[in-house]
Amino acid sequence: MEYLASDKIAIVDLGTRNITEDELDEDLVLDKIGGAGITKHLYDQYAVENPIVLGTGLLTGTLVPGASLGVITAKSPSTGRISHVPLNLDAGMELKYSGFDYIVIKGTADKPVYLWIHDGILDINDADDLWGKDTWAATDHIRSEMGDDLIQVLGIGQAGENGSDLAQIGINYWQSADRMGFGKLFGEKNLKLMAIRGMGLLEISEPEDFMDDCAELIATIRKNPTTQKQGIAAAAAALGEEDLGDFLDPLTHRHMACFNTPVATNTFIFTEEDPALLKESAVPEPGFLLTDIFPLIVLKKAGLSAKDAGILLKACAKYGIDGAAVAELSAKSGLTDPAEIEKSFPDLKGPVESTGGSVFSPWAAVGKEINENWERRQAVAYILGLHPIWLQIATELTEEKLLDLAGLGTEMEFTPDTLDEVIGDILA
Amino acid sequence: MGIQIDALKCTACMACELACGYHRDDAFALLSSCIVPYRGREKKNYVGVILKEEDSLVAARPEGIEINRIGEEQDPDKEADASAKPMLLRESCDLCDDVDDGPLCITFCPTGAISMA
Repeated sequence: MEYLASDKIAIVDLGTRNITEDELDEDLVLDKIGGAGITKHLYDQYAVENPIVLGTGLLTGTLVPGASLGVITAKSPSTGRISHVPLNLDAGMELKYSGFDYIVIKGTADKPVYLWIHDGILDINDADDLWGKDTWAATDHIRSEMGDDLIQVLGIGQAGENGSDLAQIGINYWQSADRMGFGKLFGEKNLKLMAIRGMGLLEISEPEDFMDDCAELIATIRKNPTTQKQGIAAAAAALGEEDLGDFLDPLTHRHMACFNTPVATNTFIFTEEDPALLKESAVPEPGFLLTDIFPLIVLKKAGLSAKDAGILLKACAKYGIDGAAVAELSAKSGLTDPAEIEKSFPDLKGPVESTGGSVFSPWAAVGKEINENWERRQAVAYILGLHPIWLQIATELTEEKLLDLAGLGTEMEFTPDTLDEVIGDILA
Repeated sequence: MGIQIDALKCTACMACELACGYHRDDAFALLSSCIVPYRGREKKNYVGVILKEEDSLVAARPEGIEINRIGEEQDPDKEADASAKPMLLRESCDLCDDVDDGPLCITFCPTGAISMA
């Protein structure tokens, strides 16, 4: 696979510490396109070993607006279904440029380990000194040890280490879109974290045409008022949920985007600092990056202030427990004090409704009922590598246009029929 | 004529960095860009943009623009940003002089944070 890919699949056996590499076969790409199409295929191939499969879409890491997405595919401890979780923020992009298109993790390490993935190299390293740390401390430790603050860390906290069904794989310091309990799988495999840095290069088959189409798309998108509003509150409103603006505005520091995503779906609130501060804060931890709409809506309805919601979600992120599940369960129990809710983390158990009813994380669905259109749009996002919330908003990104871009980028032809088949495979 | 950056409009999406990388390499890559959002102070959400020009390194910070002349001694008490480390080794901004529609970072910035001065 020559274009828009590194042409490499890593098979990591944590039990034997053996790592093998396969080429990314063009026939596989023609058949399954990429992203969740191929992670599902690889999952099925290694299913008896309960694998965790990571990958990126053909368009991930390109200038197609919203091309931020990586995907994790595994069997959800929460639902028992083969499920897909999006890697948002910069994690999907860094994985794309790391030198690996897909990574299959199977087996169980005999003691804590972490994976270090960069420049087409994948190492299994001991994690004795990381086990027991919360996600913030673990991220700081890895970045300090490697001397690189741009390393993306997919890691678990105490929730994953202790086998909670609600454990989440976090991204750096923040909550991810993992509503499926994949953090528990990391813990069961004695895998503390994956440290990923992408410094590779992606060749494009028809670069000028590809760039012209991307420029045309971003010019069109700029004219759409819905896609010009920034922040998690605006994203919620664009998805048809209640506007959280009044709730969050007093604490809002800035809105932050996932890689190359025109709408910033994340908002940083300052809970321990003046939100109007422009210069760098002297407070080590001035606030928290809000990345998930659902828990905010639930916590607001439960009567928490935005500050308390931010403090609670930060505690969730550090402990590595799904904030959406915590919000749902604490609302049911009537708890509203963040400190009291945090004390309950070790004993929290599902089932929870926040896992949704689909094979895709309901991160982009908010409180809406899952329907066929939503599920198809999510499938397209997960297959091609587009931000799932963004793709719900950006009607300019049609399936036809995205398949054309995938063809221009790779010198391959992808038909709507192939896309239908891949979506059918994923949803089967 | 030069690039003008409004750091407060930047959402650190990195589209400018990727577009600049394409201009340098005719491929998608992030190691040769002369414009980068700095992402290294994540816990504090301190975000701006660094631009390598012919004679200077421009740091568009939220609180204002800082211009560091290349070759001049820097404040030793100031914490260096991880994203800035390799910038001095990169080619300077040429305003995408071979592109009809002007600098690609402006074309692809979704928020209008980058413009021509």
